[in-house]
Amino acid sequence: MRFIVCVKEVPESIDVKIDLKTNKLQEEGISTTLNPFDQFILEEALKLKKDEDEIIAISVGTPQTKMVLMKCLALGADKAILLSDNVFMGSDSFATAYTLSKVINKIGDFNIIFCGQQTVDGNTAQVGPELAAQLKIPQVTYVESVDKFEGQKLVVKSQTDEGFKIVESQIPVLLAGIPPSSFTPSLPPLRNIIAAQNKPCIIWNFEDLGGPKDKYGSAGSLIQIIKVYYPPPRKKGIVIVEEPTTAVEKLIELLNKDKVI
Amino acid sequence: MELKFTEEQEMFRESVREFCQRKITPVALEMEKTREISIEIKKGMAELGLLGCTASPEYGGSGLDAVSAGVIGEELARADPTGSIPVFYLVQAAWGFVLNKYGTEEAKEEVFPKVIAGEYFLGIATTESDAGSDVGGTRTMIKKEGDGYIVNGEKMYISGVREAAEGGGGHLTIAKQNPELGTRGMTMFYLPLTADGITPTYIDDLGREGISCGGFAIDNVRIPKYYIIGEENKGFYIVHEGYEFARGLIAVICAAAGLKSLENGMNYIKERKCFGTAIGKFEEINFRLAEHYTRLNMLRDLAYKSLWTIDREQQGKGSRFETSKAIAMAKMFASDWACNAINDVMQWQGAFGYSKECPDQAAWRAIRSFALAEGSKEMMKMIVARELLGKEFIAYK
Ligand SMILES: Cc1cc2nc3c(=O)[nH]c(=O)nc-3n(C[C@H](O)[C@H](O)[C@H](O)COP(=O)(O)OP(=O)(O)OC[C@H]3O[C@@H](n4cnc5c(N)ncnc54)[C@H](O)[C@@H]3O)c2cc1C
Repeated sequence: MRFIVCVKEVPESIDVKIDLKTNKLQEEGISTTLNPFDQFILEEALKLKKDEDEIIAISVGTPQTKMVLMKCLALGADKAILLSDNVFMGSDSFATAYTLSKVINKIGDFNIIFCGQQTVDGNTAQVGPELAAQLKIPQVTYVESVDKFEGQKLVVKSQTDEGFKIVESQIPVLLAGIPPSSFTPSLPPLRNIIAAQNKPCIIWNFEDLGGPKDKYGSAGSLIQIIKVYYPPPRKKGIVIVEEPTTAVEKLIELLNKDKVI
Repeated sequence: MELKFTEEQEMFRESVREFCQRKITPVALEMEKTREISIEIKKGMAELGLLGCTASPEYGGSGLDAVSAGVIGEELARADPTGSIPVFYLVQAAWGFVLNKYGTEEAKEEVFPKVIAGEYFLGIATTESDAGSDVGGTRTMIKKEGDGYIVNGEKMYISGVREAAEGGGGHLTIAKQNPELGTRGMTMFYLPLTADGITPTYIDDLGREGISCGGFAIDNVRIPKYYIIGEENKGFYIVHEGYEFARGLIAVICAAAGLKSLENGMNYIKERKCFGTAIGKFEEINFRLAEHYTRLNMLRDLAYKSLWTIDREQQGKGSRFETSKAIAMAKMFASDWACNAINDVMQWQGAFGYSKECPDQAAWRAIRSFALAEGSKEMMKMIVARELLGKEFIAYK
């Protein structure tokens, strides 16, 4: 079996600054990590993996994204492919899914595609479903666990607004995963980090994938970001420090003044 | 010139830092009372491969070099203000390096798997009541008998005595085999503290509560030949390689503990107001912050450079003497500079800084030990002066 896990490098902290001139997140000097949703689904893939199976982690990113793929290798993936080229820059979820589909087609046979449900920076939850559509395979989203995998069939538990549902699917399939609250990401031990240095981590660029250039990056994107801005700062609140009765009177007075009541 | 950790080292750091945040920082100060490192933490360290990390992979270790071992020490020091876990780690990393390099196959196969699993403690025992800086003053004796050896004497001020005596493991120990040869007649060997004839005693130290310190009497203890570390009569030379590994790690640990304390201090002085303004605006305070920060970063750089010197020597690219000097330079001010910084952070926090709730007081008490442990700061000066002027300038030779 071959499992392909799509992963993304994301900022470690949500406290990132926006470059108001370029309408982009300020990337310099911020520390980044493996998207937690992706680590979760990679760990689900690892649970299914038998000795003869192969897990390939793939990511569209910058040369720095290699660190995140190295972490996937340290966690147990067998091989990693980094897609890095200026042509891929500025991709929205659609263009990212296109790029990933090209990589997967180039890899060849596969049995299950694993994606995180969403990323902690973009939060679109679109790449997985769009990729399944591009590959013309079924998909199950909000996957919390893969409960059974036998022959060509698997059974997964998928979160819904009300609770969860149990879904049975044929392979090939794309699973978009979301960690249950009990999930604690594994930490790769030193020896696995060392072993990862000897696993293949390949870099592919536009030429390796081929196809029309205008399908990639910002040219291939359906969304153009026009402006990025901070939400207006909230006005300072009023703190009333008084005896309870006086405080309530003052509060009513203020609410009346603002015509709230 | 490139000053940069490798990708692998950055990944070590990420794993260890996350482990520390999850398992060590939230409970570290509890060790002041429990006086032990919990089994859960030891198990976690073992799973991550932090214990005995310098042992070669064939014994279950990761074969880490000195700089990589420093990265781990740095993260542990940031996480545990009591300094207990950094000590537990560094002693085993440094003396594991010696066992790995000079120990017999049988000893390594016997000891390493258990050290790496967090069951055994591997320590160092050179100091005696009357012999500390002057290792040549050692009175413990080792004698050949039959196909093994007999040891008699007493060691004192030794870290991890309880861990090894109760949990298993032992100490790389130094004793005189041929007293007439002075330091050239000393032999190093592995001494299990569970052996018949070992009687431990304990010392109530000022800090590092999570790891024990004590002594042990050695009364006619028999050890097999394969416990000898390196050649007979070469102990004095071998012991310095271990000391140097440990000293480099200590220098990194001091810098890390000091810088961590400064971070605590910065958070405090930005918030705490006196006379209507944040105390961080007072130059008496923020100039000191700037000085400590600069000094501790100098220390950190020098410490990593000293560990890098060890790695160069192991690769055959540097000499013993270069290593000794670089390491001694790094350790010389490590404890003083870090303690001075921590002391100021305590001062900035007013009365809270003097309370047991304040983690910095624990850090100060722990880091203070490193002005002595694994070689006093005065001895570091002696080494640097000796390397600069030559052996003939040692005053009392
Ligand atoms: C917390 C702690 C843990 C320790 N753990 C271990 C351990 O695990 N294993 C182990 O073997 N030892 C351990 N030690 C012992 C440590 O290595 C010794 O304390 C150290 O080597 C100094 O020896 P001493 O205490 O006998 O002091 P001494 O050697 O008696 O020295 C006393 C003072 O005189 C100074 N001095 C000595 N000679 C000179 C000189 N020529 N010029 C200037 N000053 C000089 C010393 O620097 C020191 O300040 C530990 C110590 C501490 C505090």
